[in-house]
Amino acid sequence: MVRYLLSLRGLIGTLTSRELKARYRGSLLGFVWSLANPLLLLAVYTLVFDVIFKPRMAGASPYSVFLLTGLFPWIWLSTSLIEATSSLLTNAALIRKAVFPAEVLPVVAVLANLVHFLFALPIILGALVVARYLGYSVGGWSILLLPACIAVLLPFAAGIGLALAALNVHFKDTRDLLQNLLTLLFFLTPILYPVAGLAHLPWLLRVMSLNPGTPFVRLFQETLFYGRVPDVGLWLQAAGLAVLAWTVGGWIFRRLSPTLVEAV
Amino acid sequence: MDLQAPFSYFGGSGVSESKPVAGLGPEAGPKVRVENVCKQFRRTAPGFRLRTLKSALVDRNLVGGLSPEESIQAVRNVSFEVAAGEAFGLIGSNGSGKSTLLKLLAGILQPTSGRVLVDGRVAALIELGAGFHPEISGRENIFINGAVLGLSRRQIEERYDDIVAFSGLEDFVEEPVKNYSSGMYVRLGFAVAVHTDPDVLMVDEVLSVGDEAFAHRCLHRIEELLSRGKTLLFVSHSLTLVEDLCDRVLWMDRGQARLLGEPRRVVDAYRESVAEAEGRRHLEAKEAAEEPNSDSDSGAAEESRRWGSGEARILRARLLARRAGGSPGSPPPHEEAEDPTRGPSALPGTLGGLEPMEERYHLHSGEDVTFELEVTSPEGLEDVVVGIGIATPRGVEIWGTNTDLAGWRSERFEGTTVVRIECPRLRLAAGEYRLDLAVHARDGAPYDYRQGLFSFSVTAPQPQVGPYAVHHRWHFGPEIRWAERGDGVVGEDDDNNEESTRRAR
Repeated sequence: MVRYLLSLRGLIGTLTSRELKARYRGSLLGFVWSLANPLLLLAVYTLVFDVIFKPRMAGASPYSVFLLTGLFPWIWLSTSLIEATSSLLTNAALIRKAVFPAEVLPVVAVLANLVHFLFALPIILGALVVARYLGYSVGGWSILLLPACIAVLLPFAAGIGLALAALNVHFKDTRDLLQNLLTLLFFLTPILYPVAGLAHLPWLLRVMSLNPGTPFVRLFQETLFYGRVPDVGLWLQAAGLAVLAWTVGGWIFRRLSPTLVEAV
Repeated sequence: MDLQAPFSYFGGSGVSESKPVAGLGPEAGPKVRVENVCKQFRRTAPGFRLRTLKSALVDRNLVGGLSPEESIQAVRNVSFEVAAGEAFGLIGSNGSGKSTLLKLLAGILQPTSGRVLVDGRVAALIELGAGFHPEISGRENIFINGAVLGLSRRQIEERYDDIVAFSGLEDFVEEPVKNYSSGMYVRLGFAVAVHTDPDVLMVDEVLSVGDEAFAHRCLHRIEELLSRGKTLLFVSHSLTLVEDLCDRVLWMDRGQARLLGEPRRVVDAYRESVAEAEGRRHLEAKEAAEEPNSDSDSGAAEESRRWGSGEARILRARLLARRAGGSPGSPPPHEEAEDPTRGPSALPGTLGGLEPMEERYHLHSGEDVTFELEVTSPEGLEDVVVGIGIATPRGVEIWGTNTDLAGWRSERFEGTTVVRIECPRLRLAAGEYRLDLAVHARDGAPYDYRQGLFSFSVTAPQPQVGPYAVHHRWHFGPEIRWAERGDGVVGEDDDNNEESTRRAR
């Protein structure tokens, strides 16, 4: 599968750039929106949580910066999955009328959202720099491990995306199931609160550790916010999930691919 | 438009790839091989979603364990081979499985059973368009399409100008494809497809959408590909085009391969069957109109109208022609002079003495036909004229006459009688016709006037202009030489023999 997709990298590249261009087609500011959106989020979170509420949670201050470091990877993951799920249906014209490698479409959805994540990155970095300047002990050289974090989340998202895309063709409820599940999982992932703040609720910690999204979000928080090198256990956990998702997702997609064109 | 420019790049790598024509080269085996291919579709039944998913996961198809009424057999047990360099046509009515078959060949669909083998790079244009994305520009679609068809970005860049020039869309490539007309869509799709240098080009009903000039350019390009040993699979409803372009033609009928062979023979057989079906439809329409309860105007067929005083009435009318068993084109040994004034004095005697005729509403141009009507006048009339007219469905009169024009003066008509109008060698052009019959007084006052009493269709061996197939013969001086001899004569005995021998070949 990987080698096959690599052989199609030209097509994937073209489609990804098309996806990005299509999003801002006709808008005056274009890619500036990719920056403006997270910047606005940062401003609002800062106002609400660091000025008005001031939540006192161990290991999460300044809170707005903590929130962003977990939230942006989560947005990448969840938006990717939602877009990947409907990717085959929205591009039905392509796969019905040409010999089109359908597996490309979910992958393109994940990659396009990766680019959006990368666009938001300067905002996170800027926030970290400002926070450090204000005396908070956030960030560090561990940020160099960011590409590795991306490298494990990418196959995880793509694998699940492949499976969901193929399943959604046959079973359109997949999309709604996914959306509700993601809303639920959002609160079960340590994005709004740090893991450290849950020491007094061991049952919740256990539930959270069952959430496949948790290790990935924590990887980003560790490298970006805490400025720590994530421990080996966390890496292994994330990498294991990524391999599993990619293998199973790819298998489901291949299994369903002969019937996709007529069902779509 | 410079036709040479778009082809220039073939001077490079393309030439080395070009293969010897079918049957000559070492690898002259079939380019396309179809073995007992069946394709079943499931009918859309909501509520079986999970079962569908299970079937897709377990059986890897969508029709596992379906009962016959839950599925549609789009293609049944079709087998054929197409050699390299061959132009292969697929014809058939809508829903006959042509396009499904082409999708199976292109690899877009997987057969339910059987095998499809295609050797080489395939470019397919299915159902008007090669899978463009509506929201993005023509330029980007060229790149996506080219990538899908297996070209690298650099190869597409090299050919980009040729593609745009060929499509003739220079002014519109930056526009989103959704704003294109269907003609522009097809032009772009065809341009990309032929510039990917395919070994097998599959085209589904594309040339009929573009304008005349583009159709010519496409044909030019297709011929050029064929001459370089590339293979063409061609689906079209334009039978003349199929006849011109293809080396062999397959006629698909309700999912099955009905006839495979030389284009002229297959196309003729297909036309024949279409006309027969139309003839049956005309008969059914006529019978439905004759149902006693649908006698009123409300129940009558579309264009049929009836008016008159009712002093005389047309009870029924039929179209008779020779029983279809004989060879259709060959006219009967009709040696009598064609004398229109030959009176109906012979009529009562010949009523039973006619050769075996059958009621039929599908004719071959030049056939001997008889219109028969039954007229009644219970009260009795002195002044009666019987008239007949043939018109196109839109009401253009082709021919009409009546007993008065032919010089018959009535003395007395009482009771019910049969009138036959014999038309030896009725040379109508191919098409649909409507029959009008009337009984009226000499001054035109109608007793019973029936417009569009029934319709019938005519097939002709060759296309022509206008409604009447004039009997003609071509003669040329020796200065003009012909690579192929045409027909030139319609309905003449010896030529029909020649025609039938050619069909037999």
